[in-house]
Amino acid sequence: MEIELQEIRGFLAGHAPFNLLPDELLDELPEHLSIRYLRRGSPFPPSSDEDSLYIVRSGAIELRDAQGRLHEKLGEGDIHAAGCQLLDLAGDLTGEATEDTLLYLIPCRQVKRLMGSSEPFDRHFSTSLKERLKYALHTIQAPGQGEAAWLATEVGTLLQRPPVTLECDASIREAARLMTREGVSSVLLLDDGRLAGMVTDSDLRRRCVAEGLAVEGPVREIMTANPITVQRDTLLIEALMTMARLRVHHLPVLEGERLAGMLSSSDIARQQSNHPVYMTGDIRKAKGVEELTTISQRLPALQLQLAAASATAHHIGEAISCVTDSLTARLLEMAEERLGPPPVPYVWMAGGSQARREQTSHSDQDNALILADDYSEESHGEYFEELARFVSDGLDACGFIYCPGNAMATNPEWRQPLATWRRYFHTWIERPEPKALMLSSIFFDLRPIHGDESLFRELQPEVLAMSRRNRIFIAHMVANALTHRPPLGFFRTFVLIRDGEHHDTLDIKHRGIVPITDLARVYALAEGLEAVNTTERLRAAAQCGALSEEMAENLEDALEFIASLRIRHQAEQLRNGLKPDNYLPPGELSELERDHLKDAFRVIQTMQEAMAHRHHAGSLG
Amino acid sequence: MTLLDRLLSPERRRRRALARVGEGPLHDYLATPFPPRDADCDAVEIVALDFETTGLDPRRDRILSIGMVSIRHLVIHLGSAWHQIVQVDEAIPEDAAIIHEITDDRSATGRPLEEVMPTLLRRLAGRVLLAHYAKIEQRFLDAACRRLYGGPFVIPTIDTLHLAHRIFERRNHSIQVGDLRLFNLRPRYNLPRYKAHNALSDALSTAELFLALVMDISPRPPRPLRQFLTRP
Repeated sequence: MEIELQEIRGFLAGHAPFNLLPDELLDELPEHLSIRYLRRGSPFPPSSDEDSLYIVRSGAIELRDAQGRLHEKLGEGDIHAAGCQLLDLAGDLTGEATEDTLLYLIPCRQVKRLMGSSEPFDRHFSTSLKERLKYALHTIQAPGQGEAAWLATEVGTLLQRPPVTLECDASIREAARLMTREGVSSVLLLDDGRLAGMVTDSDLRRRCVAEGLAVEGPVREIMTANPITVQRDTLLIEALMTMARLRVHHLPVLEGERLAGMLSSSDIARQQSNHPVYMTGDIRKAKGVEELTTISQRLPALQLQLAAASATAHHIGEAISCVTDSLTARLLEMAEERLGPPPVPYVWMAGGSQARREQTSHSDQDNALILADDYSEESHGEYFEELARFVSDGLDACGFIYCPGNAMATNPEWRQPLATWRRYFHTWIERPEPKALMLSSIFFDLRPIHGDESLFRELQPEVLAMSRRNRIFIAHMVANALTHRPPLGFFRTFVLIRDGEHHDTLDIKHRGIVPITDLARVYALAEGLEAVNTTERLRAAAQCGALSEEMAENLEDALEFIASLRIRHQAEQLRNGLKPDNYLPPGELSELERDHLKDAFRVIQTMQEAMAHRHHAGSLG
Repeated sequence: MTLLDRLLSPERRRRRALARVGEGPLHDYLATPFPPRDADCDAVEIVALDFETTGLDPRRDRILSIGMVSIRHLVIHLGSAWHQIVQVDEAIPEDAAIIHEITDDRSATGRPLEEVMPTLLRRLAGRVLLAHYAKIEQRFLDAACRRLYGGPFVIPTIDTLHLAHRIFERRNHSIQVGDLRLFNLRPRYNLPRYKAHNALSDALSTAELFLALVMDISPRPPRPLRQFLTRP
């Protein structure tokens, strides 16, 4: 290269993917470049060119698809490589220069030569959308550092000893003796060499001694059969979430099918005595609401700490929701202590993001009460009104502000006996109208938190059976899901919206996360899936064949990437003492992250289009 | 330039000069026909050229460096980019050294003009010269050819300054001092600001400006060369 072409080399070095090239390849790149000028209004790409990759040096280009819809807008430093027919880059886009534009051209054969010489450069072009999303996740979830990094360790590394096992035909006494001899608080029970169950100290106490069961009886009678297990390479954070969710202190660890050991919460506590997930423990011991609010003040710190440990957004959502669950349950216990035992059975339901286990430390509260059908407004109304008020006020004091749409158990409409809830869902599904759709994201995501869960277990299958049958309802849900569209991408320092509008910030919740949770909900309702968590819904949809494995995985990765960016954005705000929000200025994103986001948006868009097509939602407007 | 020269087309002058110049690089250069004036800009090769010199007087001042890049099919090809420091056998005046950042030491790394000229002429043969205020390049080339080869230098020329001037006049824009300078014209056409200034980057800047001016004058083909050539 003529050294005087430094200016051009410098420009290339500042932009993806050329910044991935080693110096010697960058040095020789300028001499392969040619330069073209397009006056405003000129068609792009120019028809006479040899197949080339285009780099916008100055000016702007708009690209439209075959239907004339705006697809992308290129500004300084943006590239257009469609002419090179590299893997899954959108084809047959044409457009025009919307400003006077200076273009750098690199012949495709040169691009391919560079791909052959530089692996990162090659990966930029040759990887499929799926691989690019995986890579995006990998870059944003770089290995954790600092005090919380241990959360990302594999549970296998914490196992203290080989598993202590016993055949499940053995007697209760034999189990107790073995545990005493080995100095362990639990034993794994085998049936024909396979894990059949487990028994812990507390099982011996609650299920044997307290019940006056004969210790000569088979241990099988007091064991927890088919316990939930984790794998050796499960991350500690995930295991902790599982423990917190199931409210257990022991998890058998497998390596494939083989039993590898037992993970107990005391093993973990030995490693790290003040882990934030133990907030749930503090919550259970709290005496009053004030104590709970004090504990809740640690929530932003928990979110920060988990983000610093590069826990996934999925895990952070679980961690926060898990704490909220505990807070809710403890508040209900306190309410019952104050008001006396409930006059009829009830179950407290979480809605929205808490139900999906996708909360952040500043989510608002959505909840409802399902009461047993022998509820009478006259005799029990006051009790449950006070109960709801107490819990809702408590949650608000803990930082989970009142739902702006009043979707809370304090609202008499959402504090009803099972029969009424049945009628609600029946109406919403059989005669869909805007209100149902408005409430859908809250009440079609429901999870029991405390009380008599059977009330919900009765309702849920009926709702799913109804929704699954009703194609008109689903079509309405689809239309609703399509109201939140991802942006097309970025143009200069703006977010580029579908109609060509520019926004200063990316509403990462409504344009990134909500579209995916909405899609997942439609799948759950259309297929009758019980799952509530978005990732679990997508996996379940893939399992029943409603969604291809690859698409489910892409959506999951897109969600995780977008949610991780949100976590990072909010962590930055929390660190600076600002109130966390969902508005991400494009300036916070690296060029590579913008590309990754564009990929994620594209996945969502493809899915939305497929869904619209499948359910003819377009006709419903 | 004689009155007769002014009246003749460059092609006629080329043939006149060819008849008078003896064997050598200039003869070879003149032996190559110029592109026809009716050819389309798209079909001819245009070479953007910039000299850095110690001053403006071709009889007294020296060429310090040469920058060149060519345009084919109205596309600039950086593979053709050429930059050459010219060795000057006398002390470089301080102000010229400051402006061009070419010191005596740097100049000494270059090649003498008589060694560079054959390459330069070969690269210009059969092509159209493009420069911003092309008189400088034309006069220095002419002086060098007369001194080294005993004959005049002739070339069909496009001058971006003249083109810009024409556009200003045609649109009745009043022209302020400095408006027609290369680096003041570029932003009007949304062309980027280059930090470095040397003969090659200036030649490139001129080439880019030319593309913009061509599209401004004739947004669509045909774009006959004669429409852009500077009258001698």
